[in-house]
Amino acid sequence: MALDSAGAAAAGEFIRAAGPTHPSLIDTRYDVARAYNIVNVPTAVWIDEEGRIVRPNEMAFADNRWIEYTKFDMTRYLEAVRDWAERGAHSAYVLDAKERRRRLSLPTAEHALAAATFRLAEHLHDTGHPETAVAFFKRAQALQPESWCFKRQAWALTDAEKFYGTTFQKEVAALGGRPYYTPLDLRG
Amino acid sequence: MAAATATILLPACEVTVTGEADADALWLTPAELAKAGRWELKPDGLCRGPLCVPVPPAASWVRGRGADLRVDLTGLSRYMGQPVAASPERGVWSIGEAVGDVADRLHSLDAPDFTLPDFDGRTHTLSSFRGRKVFLLAWASW
Repeated sequence: MALDSAGAAAAGEFIRAAGPTHPSLIDTRYDVARAYNIVNVPTAVWIDEEGRIVRPNEMAFADNRWIEYTKFDMTRYLEAVRDWAERGAHSAYVLDAKERRRRLSLPTAEHALAAATFRLAEHLHDTGHPETAVAFFKRAQALQPESWCFKRQAWALTDAEKFYGTTFQKEVAALGGRPYYTPLDLRG
Repeated sequence: MAAATATILLPACEVTVTGEADADALWLTPAELAKAGRWELKPDGLCRGPLCVPVPPAASWVRGRGADLRVDLTGLSRYMGQPVAASPERGVWSIGEAVGDVADRLHSLDAPDFTLPDFDGRTHTLSSFRGRKVFLLAWASW
């Protein structure tokens, strides 16, 4: 599922290149991001046959090409995914309910307002008011600073340096060694 | 205060209503209010489906009586715990779901359901995958 305001115009070339056999969805309004409080990509949620969350949203890369960001050997994560696919509820990587809830990132009132503000900004951008949109994108980012989605999406829609006075590279440098992703904790 | 056509962005859709904007307040007749968030004015109060809330006597988001009755959608939404972001200059109000509802649903561990289109415009609904495991991966072009 791609989180992309510009929809197929932005995500389409990646989907065409990958030619996936699984459903490959596009969430232009960040509806799923809001419902699951997703703040970064690539991240994944494991959902069992009954529609229950068995691992909340967490960093999920397919390989180690970004290991300087992930700080984690993602081949171990892929092994965990395969183990769950085969063993289901018996997989050691299925967390108990208490641990799942501990790991959930529940939205606060500020996050909910950030999401409504982001939706307003997206709409203004799409309806020909990109400069008005910038003010609301900035407000959404200030309300939920931990959301890289709100930052990177807004920057991607315009000249980030000109309208936001920053770039992704600058923001990553500003982390000063703090992790870009919440560290992956594979076992419960 | 000016009569205005307003676009209301709701969690699952967007609607157009006519009302009077005053800063970020948006005063609507009961008929327009019904379009914007499915609120219905009944003797019990304001109702949305089975949920009814009595209108507090001193509510700042209600004014007038009878044919002059108007409800401020922004004030009502905030009273109900829903986040509101507005650009009155552009005539757009964005009203989210109450944060308690979003958080409670997630905390239940029942995966929040959704329907989204794929690249070809075909829609897929999470709950239609019951009986199979779902690996829900979020990625982005940016």
